[in-house]
Amino acid sequence: MRTARFWPYAAFLCGLAYFIIPLIGMFEFSLRKRRGVYSLDAYTSVLTDPQFQQTFLYSLFMALVAIFIGVLLVVPTAYWVRLRLPKLRPVVEFVTLLPLVIPPVVLAFGYIRLFNTSSVVPFLGSEFGTNILLSCGYVVLALPYMYRAVDTGLRAIDILTLTEAAQGLGASWAAIIFRVILPNVRVAVASGAFLTFAIVIGEYVISALLDRPAFGPYLVWIGSNKAYEPSALAVMTFAITWGCMALIQVITQFSKHTRTPL
Amino acid sequence: MNWLGIVPFAIFALLFLLLPTLNIVLGAFRTQQGGFTLDNITNLAQPRIATAFWVSIKLSFASAAIGCLIGFILATAVALGGLPRWIRQSTLTFSGVASNFAGVPLSFAFIATLGRVGILTIVLRDVFGINLYGLGFNLLSFWGLVLVYLYFQIPLMILIITPALDGLRREWREAAAILGATGFQYWRRVALPILWPSTLGTMALLFANSFGAIATAVALTGSQLSIVPIVLFNQIRGDVLQDPQLGYAIAFGMIVVTAVTNLIYIVMRVRSERWLK
Amino acid sequence: MAYLDLLHLEKSFGPNRVVKDFNIGIEQGEFVSLLGPSGCGKTTVLRMVAGFEAPNSGEIRISGVDLVGSRPNQRNIGMVFQSYALFPNLTVAQNVAFGLSVAGMKKAQIAERVAEMLDLIGLADLGQRFPYELSGGQQQRVALARALAVRPKVLLLDEPLSALDAQIRVTLRREIRAIQQRLGITTIFVTHDQEEALSISDRVVVMNGGLADQIGTPFDIYNHPTTRFVAEFVGTLNTFDVVVTDPDTGTVMMGATSLVLNRPVAAPKGGKVTLAMRPEAASLGGAGDLTLTGRVEDVQFLGAIIRIKANVGAHQLTLDIFNRADMPPPAIGSAVPISLSTHSLVVLVK
Ligand SMILES: Nc1ncnc2c1ncn2[C@@H]1O[C@H](COP(=O)(O)OP(=O)(O)O)[C@@H](O)[C@H]1O
Ligand SMILES: [Mg+2]
Repeated sequence: MRTARFWPYAAFLCGLAYFIIPLIGMFEFSLRKRRGVYSLDAYTSVLTDPQFQQTFLYSLFMALVAIFIGVLLVVPTAYWVRLRLPKLRPVVEFVTLLPLVIPPVVLAFGYIRLFNTSSVVPFLGSEFGTNILLSCGYVVLALPYMYRAVDTGLRAIDILTLTEAAQGLGASWAAIIFRVILPNVRVAVASGAFLTFAIVIGEYVISALLDRPAFGPYLVWIGSNKAYEPSALAVMTFAITWGCMALIQVITQFSKHTRTPL
Repeated sequence: MNWLGIVPFAIFALLFLLLPTLNIVLGAFRTQQGGFTLDNITNLAQPRIATAFWVSIKLSFASAAIGCLIGFILATAVALGGLPRWIRQSTLTFSGVASNFAGVPLSFAFIATLGRVGILTIVLRDVFGINLYGLGFNLLSFWGLVLVYLYFQIPLMILIITPALDGLRREWREAAAILGATGFQYWRRVALPILWPSTLGTMALLFANSFGAIATAVALTGSQLSIVPIVLFNQIRGDVLQDPQLGYAIAFGMIVVTAVTNLIYIVMRVRSERWLK
Repeated sequence: MAYLDLLHLEKSFGPNRVVKDFNIGIEQGEFVSLLGPSGCGKTTVLRMVAGFEAPNSGEIRISGVDLVGSRPNQRNIGMVFQSYALFPNLTVAQNVAFGLSVAGMKKAQIAERVAEMLDLIGLADLGQRFPYELSGGQQQRVALARALAVRPKVLLLDEPLSALDAQIRVTLRREIRAIQQRLGITTIFVTHDQEEALSISDRVVVMNGGLADQIGTPFDIYNHPTTRFVAEFVGTLNTFDVVVTDPDTGTVMMGATSLVLNRPVAAPKGGKVTLAMRPEAASLGGAGDLTLTGRVEDVQFLGAIIRIKANVGAHQLTLDIFNRADMPPPAIGSAVPISLSTHSLVVLVK
């Protein structure tokens, strides 16, 4: 049996090397700013850069808006499709998967042409409109993940019974969705939200083409102008991504434990 | 009145997904004045753009195929190789992170590692006497880009294929063995055909994933590399091709490529899944 | 030396000793069932024969050749799993052909053998179907055909009927037995259902906590159980704890009543043993060599038989009597004479 494990271990270790070495590389590089010694200078330099703060906060805000719109859009839709329009499910699912097939650069191009100042809905005519457009673009990018997470969450609960019970108590549709259904799929919603966050925070192409001061374009700009700061930023982004995924794991695990007694 | 509930979603999807796409498709067949034309499409044949498409397709195919293969091997090793359970769990968690660690930061990590002054380049040179760049390696090349893309392609494959591997029942392997099949025969006749549909699906997804990827390449090569998304990006930004309608055609071409990929996938899946309900 | 010998098999998973000194010799063409509650190690014995688990010690011999150490795919053994385990991506015919084609048999021969096998299980028309298009019973038949197609030396069945409906279970077990007898194939059948084991086996092995408690024909196992576990696991049983007063004549005290069995008892004077009696061994009336008086507590009319619960002293007795149109069952609360033959009382020393 021992020898039979050789190849699995060998494969695993090769994979490990491929995935760990770049992380070590970027971490080591980020410490090299000061000549001869390891230092956190690159991090200080990045964190004190006002542009970093502005772009990061901008992207953070955009992510929150995208999560808000996404939840508002996806939860009622997924719920309604499951409850009342099961025939439409393949269609809706197909639409939610489209963003995996249509490249973001194409989408951004479409936005620019469709929503320019002379169009019927001139999102691009104002800064506010452009921001809205950008966050909607983010909702689209996250749609496949968000929808699947919520839909899976809904499958696990008996929405028909919940709905009928709530209706029996005289609840309105809005109350049913936001006070009955949403709390029951909060784990799925949270997973979707963190994933949206991870996608949005480093997004480059749409924000660059819509000319918004987001974190992604800032990263590219830093990349072509500084030597060590990019690595420091990469380390921080990786930590954020890791944090998002860890939080998804934690809430999923936690909710499993609290649910079992039911 | 049931359909009313889906109106917000329909409007959103139309406005931010379907109409922009439709606009591109129509634009690809229009002159600047609005008349019908096929010139935009035929203009795609100019060497610069055709080459970009070809490079992009090769790049996406290579990174998808290699990503599928390596991801499959790693997932098999971790899920079925008898490794401790915590290794499997951490691999899945890490894959979740790595598959999302794409774009600009990823290319920074690789530059810091395998760039001309990256740590691995230097360690290999100073400690092992291997001069990567002297041997013709270049991170800013086709295969360099493949190497970087694999960083998110492999984890994506692992994430998707592991549940499928878990779905392989122990009894199938045992039934095959007791009927006289070798491990190889079991994989060739039973396990791989069962996994084939999900492998194909992942392959199509990975293809689209790298076909549309742009941030990594931009950060790595400074938008010099001639792959389609970068060509389109430059075209949108500065109309470098002096032909506004050509942008539509390029975008349309990209949609066609990913659509055809998925069509091939669907056809193959249907053919390989006759045995499913 | 039998055809298939299992000698001193031992298997532990970590500290958990799952199979303990397991021995049996199975003759060619014999149908042997392993019967026991869930978790008693039946599957583990079967998996050791198949080669999926290696015994910690002991031997598994077919015609004298030790199999321990050879891989499952070299053993030429057929196996049927509880969950059918048909390959979902292959048609019925391809499933049945699997073992033949991996062995490199010629196409024409394979087709012939597959047709023969499908005929044997009565599914000749379904060769082109996929497993999901079949019912559970049909799938299990295909699994049987697939296992038999390679003409294995031994056929192993691990609770093959447990996942099926009660009715199909009964028909299919008869079919399995008929096919086994027609082919004369040496078979080990695992089940936790005593009726199943008793009805189709040449011999039954009753397992308890990794041990083979008793090996014998269904008749033996049922009528002459050697341990309390076997007696209680197989069929319904009345038990009485008694004290031996004279081991040579078999005199025992049941409460204040003295019973004489007229045969020696393997226990010392003053030792405690258990007397066991099947419900059908007693009758109402006064025809046996031992008569007790009982008070009827409950009467269940089950059609062909009537099950009566009666109190005899401090014990409750369950009796099964045949239904007869001219003899209505006794009324609840009435006192009835119960007679039995001392030969039908089994002495359980363990
Ligand atoms: N692979 C294994 N690892 C650890 N314990 C096992 C394994 N297989 C079986 N066991 C244990 O061995 C005992 C016997 O199992 P099994 O042979 O499957 O019983 P049966 O088939 O009679 O229900 C059980 O307690 C089970 O938990
Ligand atoms: Mg079992």
